[in-house]
This record gives sequence, structure tokens and C-alpha cells, in this order.
Amino acid sequence: MLTVESLNKTYVSQGSDTPALVDINLSIAEGEFLCLLGPSGCGKSTLLKIIAGLIPATSGRIAINGKAVSGPGPERAVVFQDYALFPWMTVRDNVEFGLEARKLPVAERREVSSRLLKVVGLSDFAERFPHQLSGGMKQRVSIARALAVDPALLLMDEPFGALDAQTRQLLQDELLRIWREYRKTVVFVTHSIEEAIYLSDRIVVMTARPGRVKQIVMVPEPRPRDMASVDMNQRQREVRAVLGEEIARAAALEEADLMAGA
Amino acid sequence: MADVSFAKNVVDEVAAEERIAAVSQRRWPGRDRWLGISTIVAFIVIWEIVYRLGLMPTWAFPSPWKVVLAFQELIANGKLLTNTAASVGRQITGVFFAALVGIPAGLALGASPTARAAFLPLCRLLYPIPGIAWIPLAILWFGVGFTSTVFVIFFSGIWSIMFNTMTGVQTLSGQYTEVAKVYLASRSLYTRRILIPGSLPYIITGMRLTYGVGWRVIVGAEMISSITGLGFLIDDARWQLRPDIMICGMITIAMIGWVSENWFFDWVEEKTIVRWGMRTT
Repeated sequence: MLTVESLNKTYVSQGSDTPALVDINLSIAEGEFLCLLGPSGCGKSTLLKIIAGLIPATSGRIAINGKAVSGPGPERAVVFQDYALFPWMTVRDNVEFGLEARKLPVAERREVSSRLLKVVGLSDFAERFPHQLSGGMKQRVSIARALAVDPALLLMDEPFGALDAQTRQLLQDELLRIWREYRKTVVFVTHSIEEAIYLSDRIVVMTARPGRVKQIVMVPEPRPRDMASVDMNQRQREVRAVLGEEIARAAALEEADLMAGA
Repeated sequence: MADVSFAKNVVDEVAAEERIAAVSQRRWPGRDRWLGISTIVAFIVIWEIVYRLGLMPTWAFPSPWKVVLAFQELIANGKLLTNTAASVGRQITGVFFAALVGIPAGLALGASPTARAAFLPLCRLLYPIPGIAWIPLAILWFGVGFTSTVFVIFFSGIWSIMFNTMTGVQTLSGQYTEVAKVYLASRSLYTRRILIPGSLPYIITGMRLTYGVGWRVIVGAEMISSITGLGFLIDDARWQLRPDIMICGMITIAMIGWVSENWFFDWVEEKTIVRWGMRTT
């Protein structure tokens, strides 16, 4: 349903070109759960934002169901790492924001937000403000806000990166449940190998910057997945081997940058 | 759901910590308040001593008690009420127009680099002109009275609200804009639901300053360009050699300024940015 063809992103500053993404080609099937995995600074979040239509690509083509897209569209919604909830709106108003933008009547908005708050277990918190919630609850609100506009494609930018381990585990399971129930296509950015293996059908492993697709790893294991099982362990070792050298390269690049800066 | 109950505990914990903090602050109940009141009392006592020792000529330097009597006189003959009402009316009108022009202008300046490039140099030139300097022009244009005073308050006050609103927009997290784009929010929805509430901490600070500046120039403006108001009351007392009335006017200005600047804007903050957890100070 989503295709990315020979996509490049180059940042130009003071005459010098810095490539961020080089020749990205991806094809994502309807209902698929795909993870973009890579070392920090590899451009995986940039790629997600380009797919979301928030950043323009330098060259290449993004198509959804065969139609080229540039800019955001109603079939896509984004869940950000630091939630990006509006502190001045109640939880309910935050969830309804996309529907308000679509000029849905208040009664219908109400209905959708009530249903989705129930799905994410926050019915009792509808009239609270975001600062009164824990990180996990905030991210649930953000997920409900994305689901409210009923997007075919859910784009998630390290959504659980800021959460503690237990909350993270809970939200991963909840996300899988929602993904199954609503049959969404998910593109999920993470730098955690465990998270990628636990969640996805396919993992796109990216190189250190500039970001290229290094390898695509299939994860055929049925869900729910037992991370302690022999198969999953084998899979983890596999991905770790692929990613390991990229992490080392990313660290070396960063060190070189710091040296140059000093 | 485990996380929900976990979160509830977090909320409770935060509430408990706040309670503890509140209790520890109240170790000496009202200590700070008493210190403040004692200093004011000491100030009045020194005033009385200076008067009794005859350090100043009595026709120019009234005792505190004489000021109290003057208050009684001004309340009885209605002059305090009418002149206060006149000043407050001008102040509110002037501040209202400053906000009416300053907030939209600040939003536009904050949102558009082109608008900043075009208008900021002019604003920076006009900004240092003291409000009082506008009075002669205002009298030429609008005559003595309501309009010229309002004009002076407007021109003194608009800068604070405009520049603060601009800063508020500029410091607003870019992520809110991204969310608006993702959900295809219209320009008007973006302005109404994101830009204005998101800049509100700065807008309120700007309004506080605008209000303060306005209240500080109003007396000067009324002394020159008005035949009513607290400024006129003070200035008029000069001709009657009534320093006690002057001080009444000054105390009234102080009290109304203090009440509105603190209580009113604190109340607005309490209802908005404190409730939203957006207080930065």
C-alpha cells in the first residue's frame, strides 16, 4: 500500500551538501507491521517524517495505493516520541483534534473519542489535562488521537522511547492488540532491537548516516512472541550482528564530529 | 490495566509531595506576610515622626491622619468615586485597544519572518518614545479629555503585549505545528486552538506589563489633558494647596494598581496556564 522509490534526502547548508538518506526503496503491504531500525542519527525519523509529509524529500517518490503523495494526508497519522499533546486541551479534546480539523459535528466527535478512550483504558481521565498523566498514559492519548481519524497508515516515531521498561512492555502489547483489531498498516521507528523483533513482521535495518537500507529481516514467528524462546534468541543474535557494525560506525562518526567541533 | 493504576499512584504521589511542600512552607504561619505589614506600619510611623518634628512645612506635608480625613471628605463628596471611575474607564479602554491591536500584530510578527523584517525596525523606533511624549500631539488631535488619554495609554502599552505575544509564538514548540499539519488543521483552527493558547503564558505576561505601563502613564496624561480622573484630582489639589488630597490620589492609584495587576492577572493565570501545567516560572 505504501511504496518508497529511490528516495534521497540531502541537507544543504552553506554550500556543503550533507546526505541524510540515500536511495531508499521500500514497499509496505497493507496491514503490515514494519519497523525502521537503526543507530541514532541514521535518518530513520527523517524517513518517517518524509513519509508523513512533514519534510520534503530531495528526490524520489512516495506513493500510497499507487498515488504519489507530497505533504500530509488524511490516510496517515503520526504518533510522536514525546507525545506532542496540547497541554491546554483536555485528554478528550486532544483525542478529538483531528476530527475537529475535519469539521466533524461535536456529537460524532464525542462518540469517537469516548470509544477510543475506552480502547486505550483512559475513560476516567477524559477531562484531565495532559500534565496530570504519566508518560504511558500520555502516549495512549496520542495513539487514540491518531486512531480517531481512522488512518490506513499509522506512523510511529520511537513512541515508547521515553517510557520505563514495564510501561513500554504494556504499551507494546496494547499496540499489537489495536493493530490486529483495527487492521492498520504500521511503520514504527525504533533503535531497540528487542522492540523491533517483538513487534514487527519485517525489520528494515538502516546504516549509520547517511541512512541506507542495509538489510531487511523477516520475523515470521507467530504472536504473542516469547522473547526468551530459542527461535527469538536466534533472531535477536541475527539482527544484532547486522546492526552491530552500524552502531559502531555511528559511534565513530559521532566521535569524529565531536573532535572536529573541539 | 496495570499501567493505569500505576499512573494513578503517580498522580497521588505528586499530590502528596505538593501537600508536604505546602505544609513545610507554613512552618511559621504568615511570617512573610507579617514582615511585609510591619515594614508598611514602620513607614507610616516614620512619616508621622517627620511630621511631628516639623522637619517639613506643615502646609506641604500632611500627617497620615490628615490623609485619612481627606479620604473621608473625598468619599463623602463623591469626588474619589467619580475620578476613580474616570481613570479606570480610560485605563480599561486603552488597554483593551492595545490588546486588540497588539495581540493579532504579535501573532503575525511571531509567525511570519517577512512581517518581522518589514515592521520590527519601525516598532523598535517607536518603542523608546515615552508615553508622556505623545500627550501634546494627542491633545492637538483629539482635544482634552477621554480620547487623548486613551490614546496615550494605547501607545505606551501596545509594545509590551505585542513583543511578548511575538516571543510566545516564536518559542512555541515546532512539534505542535507538526501535529496541526498531520491532522490537516486549517489556518484558523491552528491560530485559535494552537497558536493563541500555546502563546498564552507570554500573552498574559505581556498584558500584565501593558496594564502596568498604562496605569503608570495615566496620571501624567490626566494632569495635562483631562479635567477628570485621579491624575486630575492630584494636579487640581495643587491649586488648593491640599497635599493631603494629592496623597489620597496616590494611595488610590497604588491600591487599584496593586489589586488589578496582582489579583486579576494571577486569577487569569490560575484559570489557564497553571491549570494546564504550563507555568514556566
